Amino acid sequence: MLTQRRKGAKESRTKLKSNPSSPDVIEQDGLNELRRLLVGPEQQEIEVLRERLDQQESLLPEDISRVLPEAVTLRTRRDKKVTEALLPTVEEAIDISVRKNPQTLIDALFPVMGPAIRKAIAEALSGMTQAMNKSLEHSLSPQGLKWRVEAWRTGRSFAEVVMLHTLLYRVEQVFLIHKETGLLLQHVVAGDASVQDADMVSGMLTAIQDFVHDSFSVEEGGALDTLQVGGLSVWIERGPRAVLAAVIRGNAPQELRAFLQQTLEQIHAEFARELENFEGDAAPFEPSREDLEACLQSQYEQGSKEKTKKRVTPVRVVAALLLVIVLVLGFFYVRSRWRWGNYLTRLQSEPGIVITNAERRWFGYSIAGLRDPMAADPQALLGEASLDPAKVESHWEPYHSLTPRFVLQRAQALLNPPPTVTFRVENNTLYATGSANHQWITETRRLVRVIPGLDRFDESSLVDTNLQAALNVKSRIEHRVVRFVLDTTGLAPGQGSELEALNADIRELKRLAPAAGKSIRVEVIGHTDQLGSEETNLPLSRERAEVVRARLAALLGDEVELTASGAGAASPVREERSEEDKEANRSVTVRVTLTDS
Amino acid sequence: MLGGFAVGKTSLVRQFVESIYSDKYHTTVGVKIDKKLVQANGQEVNLLLWDIQGEDGVQKLRTSYLRGAAGYLLVIDGTRRSTLDTACAIQQSAQELLGLVPFIVVINKTDLVDEWDLDESAVAGLVQSGWTVYRTSAKTGQDVEEAFLTLAEKMTEA
Repeated sequence: MLTQRRKGAKESRTKLKSNPSSPDVIEQDGLNELRRLLVGPEQQEIEVLRERLDQQESLLPEDISRVLPEAVTLRTRRDKKVTEALLPTVEEAIDISVRKNPQTLIDALFPVMGPAIRKAIAEALSGMTQAMNKSLEHSLSPQGLKWRVEAWRTGRSFAEVVMLHTLLYRVEQVFLIHKETGLLLQHVVAGDASVQDADMVSGMLTAIQDFVHDSFSVEEGGALDTLQVGGLSVWIERGPRAVLAAVIRGNAPQELRAFLQQTLEQIHAEFARELENFEGDAAPFEPSREDLEACLQSQYEQGSKEKTKKRVTPVRVVAALLLVIVLVLGFFYVRSRWRWGNYLTRLQSEPGIVITNAERRWFGYSIAGLRDPMAADPQALLGEASLDPAKVESHWEPYHSLTPRFVLQRAQALLNPPPTVTFRVENNTLYATGSANHQWITETRRLVRVIPGLDRFDESSLVDTNLQAALNVKSRIEHRVVRFVLDTTGLAPGQGSELEALNADIRELKRLAPAAGKSIRVEVIGHTDQLGSEETNLPLSRERAEVVRARLAALLGDEVELTASGAGAASPVREERSEEDKEANRSVTVRVTLTDS
Repeated sequence: MLGGFAVGKTSLVRQFVESIYSDKYHTTVGVKIDKKLVQANGQEVNLLLWDIQGEDGVQKLRTSYLRGAAGYLLVIDGTRRSTLDTACAIQQSAQELLGLVPFIVVINKTDLVDEWDLDESAVAGLVQSGWTVYRTSAKTGQDVEEAFLTLAEKMTEA
């Protein structure tokens, strides 16, 4: 508008300037006069306008105020000069405003800042949730698996499901409190929750906040935001003019805090005027009930289901205890059963033990059977099987096991063999190897028959030392030859010593034989060479034997039975080939017979 | 309720209302809150009484408790003159903080006449400076209700 008017003024000015150049001067004066009369006032106005236009500074504030918004809009569209020009002023203005009264700015920014901060926090939280997801990924507890299935089924993230199950809460009361006075503006209660006087609670909450603020040097803006008493917590959200306090039972998620903030912001927006002009009358805040009730129920349904499901009741505690007891008893039962089974298996594999009866009782065990005295001790085996001997009632009947090992042991113990003898048991036969004296062998032959599990004694590899000694002497005796002179009964020269030796040997044999259970008979046999006839030789040989028998009888006395016989040339000492052989055959030899005494 | 130490603020409130809050909290937080519904100037007024822990001498008052108060009772112990000075100091800081809000001066413990320590001239000085003064006894209940009701009326007028 002003721009147009200014244009008009310029045009009229050019007109005025061109007019004096007209030739008609007389008429000019009249015309001027007429013009003055007709447009005098306008002319004066034009003068004023001209002056103002000549000096730009003299623009009136009213004029600028009329065009300023449009001018700024136009210029801003073109470039950023206006913004740049205003920037320092605006900055300074804000600065001064904050210094003077921060409340105004807080009021203005509160509805904007809240959501922005919430968004940032929500993003940070979602990052955290993802990290949590990862860390929980490997948890493979049955519960974890159950939740995982639920997450998969419902399409939610695993962490979310975990949160749902672990966060159980109920918002029982919500207070809307006027910040300045601490007076209660509105109060809502969830169903059956027990309630104190809300006015006074509101006052106390305010007082507590003041107290905390005064008592602890908290930084500017810091304040009490949570009170925790046992399972009950009070969350306090603070706005510029009002405070929202929620009494919560259980563990509420952080989302609830965000919801409370949001509600408080909403109330600030809805009741901005009422909050500012509050003078003690809470009636205008009645409509805020709806907002507050939303806080009460927001996430209560989900929680309550879980709550009833997981509530700890005495019955549950007893059931859990019983379960634990059953598990513990079960463990001990299974373990003892297992040990008992092991013990029985062990006993059954043990030679010399026969189980006839084994049973479990209420508080122990009973076992009965047969046991060879040489078998392993069942009581000692109890210890090995980790069983308490006091709890086992054992009854063992002694018996003789015919297991070769035990038969052998029994034989060893009973027969007490000399170290030179070793035993072996096979097919009910005791095999003895080595050497032993005659007496032990005789005894053993007799005893073997009374040992259980043995019915034969094999001594084919056993040497009778006494008999051996006797046989040695016997052999020596039978190799001795007493020679005679050709065709006579006279001893050849030097044969006296041979007779003496015979005498000594026979005496020794006589002494040894009884120990081998033998008695001896000595037969003196006469021989001749093959010269001469049978008729002469036979008597000669008999006479020769008689000579020796008589001589020996004289030496030995009648302790030894001596017989004499002649063999002629029939059984020569040597085969007769030379003169030397003939000499040897003109002789007497001795044969000894050992007979069992 | 403002005033020096042990002037009888809590007893006055007790006399005036029946409390549901226990004394336990009093010692911890330093403030005890009571409530009473009264009639003043023909309308119902819900009085929320902040019984603030007494401050001795002129040391700093817990001003945050005063914030938002619509009025206050300034309690003086008639048997201790020093509490009058304390009350005056408190009145000064309260006025700085709250501006001109209604208040009543209560000189308590009138039942202890023998130990009276306040001369009439001092009381007259208070009245002269425009203060409303009540002499009460929390023990006997003398003028307690009147003091509170007068304050309620003044506040509703304001």
